[in-house]
Amino acid sequence: MSTTKTYEPSISRTEGRPLAGGEREYMIDVRTQDMEVNMGPQHPATHGVMRVLVRADGELITGAQPHLGYLHRCAEKIGESVEWLQYLPYTDRYDYLAAMNNNLGYSMAVEKLMGIEIPRRAMMLRTLCAELNRIGSHLIAIGTYGLDIGAFTPFLYMFREREWMMALFEKICGARLTYSYIRIGGVFNDAPPGWLSEVEAFCDTFEVKWREYYDLLIQNHIFVKRTADIGVITREMALDFGLTGPMLRGSAIDWDLRRDTPYELYDEICKDKAFEIPLASGEKGTLGDCWDRAWVRAMEMMESIKIVRWCLDKIEPGPVIGDIPKTLRIPPGEAYVGIENPRGELGHYVVSDGGKIAVRCRVRGPSFVNLAVLEELMPGALLADTIAIIGSTDIVVGETDR
Amino acid sequence: MLTFDPAIGFSSAVLAVQSAESGLKDGFGTNAIQDFLVGVKPEYVPAWAVPLTAIGIAIGIVLAIVSVLAMFSTWLERKVSGHIQCRFGPMRVGWHGWLQPLADGVKLLLKEDMIPLGADRTLYVIAPALVLASLLGAMAAFPLTETFYFANFGLGIFMILALTSTTTIGVVMAGWSSNSKWSLYGAMREAAQVVAYEIPLGISLLVPIMVAGSFNLIEVSQGQGGGYGILNWNIWPWVNPFMLPAFVLFFVAILAETKRAPFDLPEAESELVAGFMTEYSGIRWSFFFMEEYAAMFLYCVVGSFFFFGGFESPVTSLAESVGGTNSLLHQLGAASTIVLKGFAGVFLMMWLRWTLPRVRIDQVMTMGYKYLTPLALVCVLGAGLWEAFIAPHLWWRS
Amino acid sequence: MNFQGIYDRIRSIQAPGVTGMDEPREPNPQDKKDKGRSGDPYVLVDPQRLPEFLECLRDDPSLKFELMADLTATDPSKEDGYLWINVQLLSLVRKHRLAVKCLLPKENAVMPSSVSVHRGAQWAERECSEMYGITFEGHPDPRNILLPEDWIGHPLRKDYEFPEEYHGISCK
Repeated sequence: MSTTKTYEPSISRTEGRPLAGGEREYMIDVRTQDMEVNMGPQHPATHGVMRVLVRADGELITGAQPHLGYLHRCAEKIGESVEWLQYLPYTDRYDYLAAMNNNLGYSMAVEKLMGIEIPRRAMMLRTLCAELNRIGSHLIAIGTYGLDIGAFTPFLYMFREREWMMALFEKICGARLTYSYIRIGGVFNDAPPGWLSEVEAFCDTFEVKWREYYDLLIQNHIFVKRTADIGVITREMALDFGLTGPMLRGSAIDWDLRRDTPYELYDEICKDKAFEIPLASGEKGTLGDCWDRAWVRAMEMMESIKIVRWCLDKIEPGPVIGDIPKTLRIPPGEAYVGIENPRGELGHYVVSDGGKIAVRCRVRGPSFVNLAVLEELMPGALLADTIAIIGSTDIVVGETDR
Repeated sequence: MLTFDPAIGFSSAVLAVQSAESGLKDGFGTNAIQDFLVGVKPEYVPAWAVPLTAIGIAIGIVLAIVSVLAMFSTWLERKVSGHIQCRFGPMRVGWHGWLQPLADGVKLLLKEDMIPLGADRTLYVIAPALVLASLLGAMAAFPLTETFYFANFGLGIFMILALTSTTTIGVVMAGWSSNSKWSLYGAMREAAQVVAYEIPLGISLLVPIMVAGSFNLIEVSQGQGGGYGILNWNIWPWVNPFMLPAFVLFFVAILAETKRAPFDLPEAESELVAGFMTEYSGIRWSFFFMEEYAAMFLYCVVGSFFFFGGFESPVTSLAESVGGTNSLLHQLGAASTIVLKGFAGVFLMMWLRWTLPRVRIDQVMTMGYKYLTPLALVCVLGAGLWEAFIAPHLWWRS
Repeated sequence: MNFQGIYDRIRSIQAPGVTGMDEPREPNPQDKKDKGRSGDPYVLVDPQRLPEFLECLRDDPSLKFELMADLTATDPSKEDGYLWINVQLLSLVRKHRLAVKCLLPKENAVMPSSVSVHRGAQWAERECSEMYGITFEGHPDPRNILLPEDWIGHPLRKDYEFPEEYHGISCK
């Protein structure tokens, strides 16, 4: 269990910046020798193969150091070796819980270089699928968070709804997890007949079930006690670490790429005021604690339902993909596109020299960036809190390691 | 009736020992086996072998009961959790999977028995046996009916509490000897938690003990007789209004004692992998499992005896009125009553486990020491005052 | 603010290290070889002064690039003598983004670390340094992050030779 490697402390706190996380004082008057514990790579709460080297004084954590790379699959290197269209299935693999969003981000980056227009129906289907996938991803995020805290049952309830969502995706693209549905220039296929009404039925049911989950898990007294005041990320800290997505909104920073740098159809949706950005208020404890982040995710699911309903309302027949050649030759240039993934800003930085293969295919995974804050949050927490903190960052190890 | 005599502790202890002796004489548990053995004993077998064999047979029966209880409880747990989570649970082996525990048992027996390289082998091997043995000892004090029991101690509840807390030593041994930090965490949590919750558990049980004036399970049950088998249960507020809060405290404490959610910190599968059981496999691991389920059942039975009438229920009183006291019908009614009450408690514990998240260790400690213990003391004080000044004037209590 | 406005502001506050900018342009119809450039405009910055530049942009009241979305590197080709350092900046208040690019010579790929300005750069720089062999001076924790500690070579460099084996595991 123990490693011979000496523990190197993480970066010292910068002067003049407020401290956050691990600020609670415990009545601990017995100090013992510190113990190093490896949390992972095989540990039920690290959401995959991640290792956190934890230095603990009994139950109190005095230091933590994440070790990544166990799931490193060279996604960026592969991006420099395969053709533009061939890379699309690899995008499914890094954040496998939100594969639609990954497809969308990569396609948009390539389309930005190509400078092409997307058919309107394709954009509708893209938005719809991305939002449905966001719901599925947040269901996992909250469900597994409950599991980390010890509530097993809500996890399986949420899987029930996610199963339905995956069945919908299976109908539209034939895959349940790695979709490759959103293609460069549009989407792979039009929705099969009757699919849109099935999505509507899903929305109707989900709204009822959502209330159940909210009461059963998010407002559960023990859940609140376990997550409130834990892992507090202040506003300054969130900006300093470059956090995005629910981690940022959990610290009440009003920022959502869908509204603030609109892409696809989101400016229309925003003009119709079809959805809101839920912002945490520190209702159960300190602003920016774990509960706030879980709450933001829960509320975002309902907002996604609103966007899905807007799309169902406005969708019209039409072509779903432009005339895209099998072998793409992308004009030289470089483009960065950031979209709002369920976990934060998913950035794709692509560089082309005019050839069939990318020169650079950088993926800015939100999990990777969000995880960096762990070293800062852990010291001062209890062993059980570390699980709550890791769970609240909602990482997908496929994405941190790529 | 309880009086505030300083000698009460001593005198009740003496009384308890006396009643224990009479129980041993009258009961037909061990003695029935012994009588049977005397009847069939060949000439060349020495006389002292008879009680020893009788004890061996009794241990065998207790072991069988515990195994069957544990097996049925695992099946029940899987079915309850399945239905709570919108699924079926085991369905393949037998009708609704009722043979599943047997299949699991075979699997566990055939599994490789692993001992980690750096483990303290002696302690590692002894620990699960100690855990199960102490629980088996405690099970011996569980009377199935008023006349069918293995050991009818006057201080029955003391023996149960003492022996069940011995399991903690086994758990700490298991965690320490495994040479795994997660196991050690589990063991330390278990030790801290059990020590913290033994206190409210014992104190909250003092309330029904005071009302019944006895530590003996059968006597406590007999004290709640009458009233159609239901109206004189200790839990009712007209018997003693402090009984209900005492029961709530007792129930929370037994949840912590048996390491059940929301107090399953020693195992805490998402934090400590499996706590003190992390390194165990096969049949040794199943010993911990059996202990957990048997302890759940035993504590729930204790709760039924002290708060919910024990053998007394409308069924029992009906059987008594039909067949007469100590008839087979009455015995069956009493036995099924206590088993059903026990499993009702077990079901409640399972229901809680599959509904609630887990609390944190500092919250467990805070709750045990800061809230449950003082509240239990308040209950004891209130119940004592009620018994001394109000209960004598109540016509239904006389 | 659009890119032109941001660039003008950067010029007017004399942000340190700015060496130029580049914007996408249409291909020149006369020159067959010129394919133009698509994508995002960016600001060119001297890599040795990148932290100062980032700090200046972070603290400027009308730019307020307070969030570093990404820091990465690019090896354009084997022949090219320079690595690119690509930084994506985001301003949550002013709702604009900016791409920053630095050219770092491959022979002496050493530049100061930006961790003192944006702590989010910590892991990004660790990734850059293991993948491209860039040394970030003043980095608090300069270990590999995704690759093993003893990995030889910098995989995302275009001249990277894939190893035959790693600890007895055949890699080819």
